Amino acid sequence: MPHDDHDPLEQGAALRVRALEELMVAKGLVDPAALDAIVEYYERDVGPRNGAAVVAKAWTDPEYKGWLLRDGTAAIASLGFTGFQGEHMRVVENTPDVHNVIVCTLCSCYPWPVLGLPPTWYKSAAYRSRVVREPRVVLEEFGLTLPEETRVQVWDSTAEIRYLVLPQRPSDWQELSAEDLAERVTRNGMIGTAAV
Amino acid sequence: MDGIHDMGGMQGFGRIPINQDTVFDHNWQKRAFALAETLAWSVPFDADQHRRAIEQIAPVDYLRRDYFEKWAIAVQTLLLDAGLVDEEELRSGRVKFPIPQDEHPPVPAETLVQATRAGAQMTCPETGSVPAFAVDQAVRVRPHGAAGHTRVPRYVRGHIGRVVSNLGFFQFADAMAVGKGPAPQFCYTVEFEARTLWGEDAQADDTMFLDLWEPYLESA
Repeated sequence: MPHDDHDPLEQGAALRVRALEELMVAKGLVDPAALDAIVEYYERDVGPRNGAAVVAKAWTDPEYKGWLLRDGTAAIASLGFTGFQGEHMRVVENTPDVHNVIVCTLCSCYPWPVLGLPPTWYKSAAYRSRVVREPRVVLEEFGLTLPEETRVQVWDSTAEIRYLVLPQRPSDWQELSAEDLAERVTRNGMIGTAAV
Repeated sequence: MDGIHDMGGMQGFGRIPINQDTVFDHNWQKRAFALAETLAWSVPFDADQHRRAIEQIAPVDYLRRDYFEKWAIAVQTLLLDAGLVDEEELRSGRVKFPIPQDEHPPVPAETLVQATRAGAQMTCPETGSVPAFAVDQAVRVRPHGAAGHTRVPRYVRGHIGRVVSNLGFFQFADAMAVGKGPAPQFCYTVEFEARTLWGEDAQADDTMFLDLWEPYLESA
């Protein structure tokens, strides 16, 4: 949905935040350099390519995959992906028999170090309300039709564990380089709203 | 709190806006995010206090305001509660009264990025505490929710599930949200049959997993 540049609600929000930033800097509660630094960190250092590197390694290295499923936190940290909203990670594996999908019905919990900050749809009322109740219908909206015999497991991130879906390995994986494999991995594939 | 934020299982929200695929659409959203991340240090407040403040936004505003505007509104609430600003300052952006600077130092950029990359410590030593539930045990989610911030959604209350793992001894969100943390509790992954929660419309064999702190549960 395109945003309307003249949307009064959006303009009000922009004014609210501008006034807040000016006030916080003037009161000495915020160092403006810290604001720039944290935005840059999330735009440059963190994002779904981190998760894609984890998935591609798991697809090609059975020992790593075993570790990742047993102790997601340590296996992910070994590739350098750590931080807020990723302190305790669990990786759940998609197979022909089981399809996993993640959500946070209460707010917007999401594994930041491996996927970055969540997209708008993940935080939407529609996704949060519906994916727990009618996951197959929701997945159809994303263009993913699951066979009836595939079990669906929905993970609601209600405490401090953050989840990452390990998508099924593509059938032609042996013909692909590590980089090409990582490029196959999509953010939605690691949330569970797409196949890879 | 039985608030609008507890959305799991609600109906009437329409199709998923799958084309709203970006993190930020406006620069002010980035600033709102960054303000929350930095002010968490200087005010200070934690993630559960921030979530609680978001949950206190009136339902009509919760539904129509932008996600990052709600972050900013929650930060304003926490600043007001801490006595660091007044309403007029928030409206104008201009300082009316000074604050005790030494008690609220701004976080330096380098400290913030390093800490963000390191993550928070959310578990505590068990020091003799014994978990009340074992793996494979049947548990019932307590039927009544807490009035304050809590992390047990309405849609599992009163329902029976099975403990699939003991995650460890974690700071307790309900206590953290009111500055009485960490008050650690064991936290468990609990599996529920989709049909238990949603009836015959759900497909047999589909399941749901939630991570629930011990005080939310009783043996079934």
